[in-house]
Amino acid sequence: MTETIKAESPAAGNGKFDVDGLDLWYGPAQALKGVTMRIAGNSITALIGPSGCGKSTFLRVLDRMNDLIDGIRIEGKVLYDGVDLFGQVDVIELRKKIGMVFQKPNPFPMSIYDNVAYGPRVHGLRARTPAERRRLDELVEKSLANAALLDEVKDRLHKSALGLSGGQQQRLCIARVLAVEPDVLLMDEPTSALDPISTSKIEGLLDELKKSYTIVIVTHNMQQAGRVSDSTGFFLHGELVEYAPTKEIFFNPRDERTENYISGRFG
Amino acid sequence: MQTRIHFLEELSRLNHDILAMGTKVEENLRKAAEALKSQNVELAREVKASDEVVNALQLKIEDQAAVLIATQQPVARDLRELVTVFKITDNLERAGDHAVHLAKAAIKLAGEPPFHQIDRLCRMADIECAMVRGAVDAYLNQDADAARKVAAEDDRVDAEHKQIFREAIEIMREQPDQIERASRLLTTSGFLERLGDHMTNICEAVVFMVEGSHVELND
Repeated sequence: MTETIKAESPAAGNGKFDVDGLDLWYGPAQALKGVTMRIAGNSITALIGPSGCGKSTFLRVLDRMNDLIDGIRIEGKVLYDGVDLFGQVDVIELRKKIGMVFQKPNPFPMSIYDNVAYGPRVHGLRARTPAERRRLDELVEKSLANAALLDEVKDRLHKSALGLSGGQQQRLCIARVLAVEPDVLLMDEPTSALDPISTSKIEGLLDELKKSYTIVIVTHNMQQAGRVSDSTGFFLHGELVEYAPTKEIFFNPRDERTENYISGRFG
Repeated sequence: MQTRIHFLEELSRLNHDILAMGTKVEENLRKAAEALKSQNVELAREVKASDEVVNALQLKIEDQAAVLIATQQPVARDLRELVTVFKITDNLERAGDHAVHLAKAAIKLAGEPPFHQIDRLCRMADIECAMVRGAVDAYLNQDADAARKVAAEDDRVDAEHKQIFREAIEIMREQPDQIERASRLLTTSGFLERLGDHMTNICEAVVFMVEGSHVELND
C-alpha cells in the first residue's frame, strides 16, 4: 500500500475526527484500506474519487451508518472529539450530533413545518404548552433561516413539502438536519440532483454553515470540491491516496494518480 | 475522455501559436541586429512592422487560453500550463518591443561612422536569439532542466552589458562630442539586457509549470 500524502490540519490540537489505520470489509471485499486522516473542526472536507473508491463508505463510517450491513468488518480507530466511535457510544445520540444529507432530497410527505419539527419532536421536544410551542416555532424558523430557505417558504410553512422545487427540498433536508442541533454535517453528493442555481445556493450556504459545523462532503463534481472545501481527500480503490489543503490538490497535487484523476485522465 | 481529447487539441493549437510568436520575436531580433550592423534602414523598418504580428499573436493566444480556462476548467499541471502561457506571451511581447528598440537604434545610428561596441550589441542579440528559441522550446517540451540552462545564458548578456556600460562612460569622459551616441549605446544595451531578463522570466515560469514551485533563476 502506498503511503497517503497527509494534509496538515488547519485546526490546532486534535481533529473533529481522527481516523487511524481504518480497514473495512464487505464480506471478503476490502472497501477501505488503512485510511488515516484528521478532519478539522469548523472546516469543509471534500472526499473525491471515482465510483466504488470507498469515499461514501468512509462517510458512512463517521456516523456508523454501516452498522446494519451484513458481513461488514471494521478495523482501525476512529475518534470523534477524542472518543472512540466504536467504543461505548450511544448510536442514537451520535446520529443526533452527526447529521447526514443525501444525494436525492427526501422530504417527508408532510408540511414544511412538520418536516423540520420532526427531529426535535422525536428527540422529545413536545409542543404541549404555549412556551413549548414557541420554542418549537423558533427552532423551525431558525433552522429554515440557517438553511437559507425561510424567506422562500415563510408564507406556506403548513403546506406540503412535496410542492417545493428540488433545490428547496434539499435545503429543507438540510434544515431538518440542523433542527436537531448537530455538530457535524455529512453530505453525500448533496447537489448532484440539482440545477446550477440551486447548487450555487447550497454551496453558498456551506460556507456559512462551516462557522458552526464541521462538514464532510462527498462529491463527484471536482469543481465543487475546489470551490467549497478547505481540505480534499482523494480516494482510489479504498485507499486515501492524497489528503491536503484543497488549493494544493487542485493546483499542485503531489501524487500522480491524483493529478490524473482530477485532470480527467481516468475515472 | 472526449473532453480531455478536445482540451489537448486546443492546447496543441495554442502551443503552435506560441511557437509562431517566439519564432517571430527571434526573427525580429535577428533582423534588428543585422540592420544595426549593416546600417540597413529598410530592414530595421521591417522589424517595426513585424512587431504588429507579435502583438496580434499575444492577444490571440491569451484569448484562446482564457476560453480554455472558462470552458475546460483545467486543474493541476494543466492549469499551471495555462497560467504559464500568459507569462510567456507577456514576456515575449516585451522582448518583441526591445527588438523594436534595437531596430530604432539601427535607424538612428545609420549613416554614422560605426563603432566597435555595435559588435557587442550584436553579440548580445545573438545570445538572446538562442535564449528566445531555447525558452520557448523548454516550454513546449516541458523541460525544466533546459529552462535552467537557457536562463544561465543571461549571465553572458549581463557581462556584455556591463562592458558596454564601462566603455560608454569612457567615451563620454574622453570624447564629450560623442555623448549622444554613447548614451544611445547605453540605452540600447539596457533594452537588450532587459530582454534577457524577460527570457529568464519565461524560464522561471517553465520551471514552475513543470515542478509546481516558484524559483528565482539568476538572482
